[in-house]
Amino acid sequence: MNSLFTPALLLLQGSMLDNMSEGVLRPDLSKFLIIAALLFAVGVAGVLTRRNIIVIFMSIELILNAANLNFIAFSRYLQETGHANAVAGQVFTVFIIVVAAAEAAIGLGLVIALYRNRETIFVDKIDLLKW
Amino acid sequence: MHRYIWLVPLLPLLGAAVNGLLGRRFRFSERLVGSIGVGSVALAFLISLAAVVSYGQNVWPRPYVTSEDGAFSYTWIPGGAVELTQGEAERARAGGAAAARGQGSVLDVEWSYQLDALSSIFMLIITGVGLCIFVFATGYMHGDKGFYRFFAYLGLFMFSMLVLVMGSNFMMMFVGWEGVGLCSYLLIGYYFDRREAGDASRKAFITNRIGDFGFALAVFAVIATFGTTQYTAVFEQASSFPVETMLGATTWGIMSWIALGLFVGACGKSAQIPLYVWLPDAMAGPTPVSALIHAATMVTAGLYMVTRCNVIFQHSQAMMTVVAVVGALTALFAATVGITQNDIKKVLAYSTVSQLGFMFLACGVGAFVVGIFHVMTHAFFKALMFLGAGSVIHAMHHEQDMRRMGGLRKYMPKTYWTFFAGWLAICGVIPFSGFWSKDEILWNAASTEYVSGGWLLWLVATLAATCTAFYMTRLMALTFWGKERFLEVRAGGQADEAHAQAYADGEAAAHTAESPSVGDRPHHGPEERVGAAHALESAALGEPEGVDARGHDIHDRHDPGDAAGHGHHPHGSVLPHESPRSMWVPLAALAVLATVGGLVGISPAFAGGAHVGGKLNIVNWLDPVIWNPATGQFGKHTPAQVSALAARDKQTAGHEAARQEGSHSAPLATRTDDEHVAPVAGGEHAPSGGEHAEAPLPYGGETRFNLAHSVQHLLGDSHAAAEWFFIVVSLLVAGFGIWLGFLFYVWRPHLPELWARRLGPLYRASFNKYWVDELYGALFTRRTMDAARGVYATDSRVIDGAVNGAAWLTRQLSRFTGNADRLVVDGAVNAVAGFVKLLMSPLFRAAQTGLTANYGLAMLLGLVGAVGLFFGPEIWDNLKSVIGNMFAFAF
Amino acid sequence: MVLHGWESVFFWVFALAALVAGLLTVMARNAVHSALFLISALISVAALFVLLGAEFIAGVQILVYVGGVMVLFLFVIMLVNVGAEEREQEELFNRPAQVTAAVCFAALLVFGLFYAINQSAGRFLPDASEEAPAAARGERLRRAETRVSNISEDTQRVGSSLYRYGALPFEIASVLLLVAIVGSVLLARTAKQELAADDVDPLAVSDLSAAGELTPAEIEAAARRAHADDVWEQSKS
Repeated sequence: MNSLFTPALLLLQGSMLDNMSEGVLRPDLSKFLIIAALLFAVGVAGVLTRRNIIVIFMSIELILNAANLNFIAFSRYLQETGHANAVAGQVFTVFIIVVAAAEAAIGLGLVIALYRNRETIFVDKIDLLKW
Repeated sequence: MHRYIWLVPLLPLLGAAVNGLLGRRFRFSERLVGSIGVGSVALAFLISLAAVVSYGQNVWPRPYVTSEDGAFSYTWIPGGAVELTQGEAERARAGGAAAARGQGSVLDVEWSYQLDALSSIFMLIITGVGLCIFVFATGYMHGDKGFYRFFAYLGLFMFSMLVLVMGSNFMMMFVGWEGVGLCSYLLIGYYFDRREAGDASRKAFITNRIGDFGFALAVFAVIATFGTTQYTAVFEQASSFPVETMLGATTWGIMSWIALGLFVGACGKSAQIPLYVWLPDAMAGPTPVSALIHAATMVTAGLYMVTRCNVIFQHSQAMMTVVAVVGALTALFAATVGITQNDIKKVLAYSTVSQLGFMFLACGVGAFVVGIFHVMTHAFFKALMFLGAGSVIHAMHHEQDMRRMGGLRKYMPKTYWTFFAGWLAICGVIPFSGFWSKDEILWNAASTEYVSGGWLLWLVATLAATCTAFYMTRLMALTFWGKERFLEVRAGGQADEAHAQAYADGEAAAHTAESPSVGDRPHHGPEERVGAAHALESAALGEPEGVDARGHDIHDRHDPGDAAGHGHHPHGSVLPHESPRSMWVPLAALAVLATVGGLVGISPAFAGGAHVGGKLNIVNWLDPVIWNPATGQFGKHTPAQVSALAARDKQTAGHEAARQEGSHSAPLATRTDDEHVAPVAGGEHAPSGGEHAEAPLPYGGETRFNLAHSVQHLLGDSHAAAEWFFIVVSLLVAGFGIWLGFLFYVWRPHLPELWARRLGPLYRASFNKYWVDELYGALFTRRTMDAARGVYATDSRVIDGAVNGAAWLTRQLSRFTGNADRLVVDGAVNAVAGFVKLLMSPLFRAAQTGLTANYGLAMLLGLVGAVGLFFGPEIWDNLKSVIGNMFAFAF
Repeated sequence: MVLHGWESVFFWVFALAALVAGLLTVMARNAVHSALFLISALISVAALFVLLGAEFIAGVQILVYVGGVMVLFLFVIMLVNVGAEEREQEELFNRPAQVTAAVCFAALLVFGLFYAINQSAGRFLPDASEEAPAAARGERLRRAETRVSNISEDTQRVGSSLYRYGALPFEIASVLLLVAIVGSVLLARTAKQELAADDVDPLAVSDLSAAGELTPAEIEAAARRAHADDVWEQSKS
């Protein structure tokens, strides 16, 4: 039975605990990436599970923001390690924001046109793709 | 007090802003608008009066620039490097200090005001005469819907004009220059629903643009030559430039170019040949505007500028000649046109052009001071006459045709007597103001050393003066004396029927309309345009010439709701009446000025051969502004006097040093007096004639034929006698003109028609203003229109054609690609689809749900697969080891 | 690149806020609530940007997203709000199978990504500034004293980079925005607004009249305009 808990004890006492507390107290690049990944996953889940097309659009914004967070984090990382063009990530983010704004404008225009024609904003009611 | 001159332009601007921005929104009453306008100008006048007095006591003869004193300045256009590219040769020849100033400079344009002998006079004229006109306008514009607008424009105009004359550099002058142009445009087009007013305003604006172009070029040349725009710096540098004389090394150099540009600008603004055409048409504006802008102030801007830049002009003998010749020609030309005009304001307009010609003549012959003197007296009497004409027009229910007036003396005595004073002044009857200045101009033309052929200029000017006396007497006779023709004309006749009908129409339209709009008043047909050539036959009394007059009557009137109670029945109770107090009080004030205003420049001949009165004499007052080519200094001293002054300065300085050592409390003001005022106030020192006789010729060379000198020689070498001779001649000339006027229009009223027939071609030429408008129309206006039409055609055919052709091409291409798409691409896709359908229909049909979420899920699957492809084996290995460990621990 | 002290505290606060707000965005029943939670998430991410030293991007994020895009979202929500979800008459999510699959795959993805991040975390390059963080911070203080703020410097660098290396994409982005504007206007037009234009396609008129959406007068007016267009074209050729 003793041997059964050994990994758990190791987990609690050993270097793994130190690593974890170190990671929490002094978050580095990887923590940003993890947060971004989680945001991304939440956004993806929203896109795939919701029926309301507007909420789907909002989830897409969330996904784009996760990508932005990655870009900015790497930009900072490169800045501090002194490698490559440090602000390229920020420039990219600007373009992503522009594209997001354009996407929102067009998408919401589509939503209005859709609502006017079909009187619904639920994606599962819109299945013209299946002819 | 002179530290506060920056308030002078500011106050009218504030008044204009309040009236213009709030007047309509808050429906200011006429009383409020009037008091804001009049109050701001009155305050400005008081401040400028106090400032000038204090300047005269403390600072004169030095110019006072607010930025140098720290009283008011603002770097308007901060630092720009300027490379001096012009006038290198001149600068090198001027040598020494000027050359050492280097080839580059930093151009800082300040917004600061300059008070000196010249601008002080203009400030007083503008605010003083302006005040009279503002007061008059409160009466004249009574009942007009745009009352607030009118006063806003007037105030803005005052501001611009004050900036023009008070600015301390060329840039500020340019701002004022354009500002008065704009305000002139706005005010001429004040009745913007009238076609002729709109046309006239555009004409004025465009004509002025031509002049402004020259002015702008001159300013650029000034910057390129001197690297600064500040007057004091420019003129100080310019003084050391070599003079460009007809006989000297350089006849036409950079100074001549600058002077030419400046003079083109002056021609535009001051209505000289060939750019005078806008001024007569500008009479389409309300009469106070004509008085303020087109007689008293704005048109004198050119004079101001020429006098301000007299250093530059005097550096170019060629340009001096041009100025004198243009001035003399304009004086005669406009005077002859004025003889035959029937519209009372037109006569005054041509008279203004003619008088401006006199002023330029004075400048051209080197008598800048006298030119300014005439500006001043002219401002008094011409403003008076314009306002008097306004009063007459007001009384005649906006009738402007003199042939429908007559005998008004009985009905409006106050207007008559004030106008009488103005008439005597402009004719040049001693001792009215016009006499003094005009006599000085004629004398200076005859005795000038600046240009050759002064006697010819004198002859032309004397002829113009005769014409002036004649047409002014004609105006008086037709308007105030003789039969009361308005009774006859109104009594009946076809034209009058139409007139009454049109008036009723206009009144009805005005009653129905709420706000001034284009549809408010009837439009003019093209045949009714001002300036259309009138046939000689129409000159007969009451004939269709009335078309024009009727137009005026309908449109240039007050709102029919006029409380004065005279606007209602123009064809019923026709008797004219005296104008209200707000209108005749300014008239009286101006009449007093027109009578005695000339005494500040009383001829030396009347005062023992000297310019008496010290600083109070305009000649002495302006002396420090005028450059003297003989000495290369400012002020008209002979070289001997200059050296004496220098010696005295040195002495004073030594004295000063001694006094400084003794006590440090020596007041600055007294020192100034010692150094400058005393010697120059001793401008009484020498009789001007003596100066002329002894002074070396300003441009060197040999003595040419000089009328004044010849006369002097004939009269036994007595300068005073020569001067008296010319005074008597000018008086005789005025008397002859008046006598002729009486003969034609009072004693023998049939004579005008007879002579008009006898001198048919001449009469027609004068009546049609020598067809200059038609000539310009054919030469320039129509060419411009043709060019515009050509450009439009190019635009619509070539450019639009290219665009439309590109569109057509695109459409054809897209039709082609559309067909290709439908046949080839769609065909291929359909073929593949048919093939797929045939083969694996059930499987794919199940996968295609048509729901976006499902497709998204597939994408996610792909993403997971991608991650798995990279890390899958690793993850799997780790998992295996973990699970293996767990099993190992468990067992 | 390591955050210290209060920075790490703020990092966790905002990271968790972003995650929770994102989750609530996806879960909220009312679309307006969704939008508000999304705003919170975006602001939290903007705060993370600030922690990362990208102040300019944080400002852009708040201005463009929160100030512009989200307002647009709210407008559209108000325009098309059906309210059926709130009244629980309509199902919030897709069919259970789809939801389950989606969540499973998302979790799998997160798992894979975590693994990848953890694997590479050790391989990240050493932090150059970590050797002398105090010096770096001291330098930053000195810079503050010279009144050249970090923000303006950062923004300047982004700007110069944007115009130096990204000029062409920048122009393309502006064209994209223009197209988006025109496109959304076109998309949101109603049939009547469509007909009010002078360049209406005759085919569109016939389609609309066949659908019975137009009064005869409107059809006639549109046909007249279309005809006038033809006449104009003929006169051109």
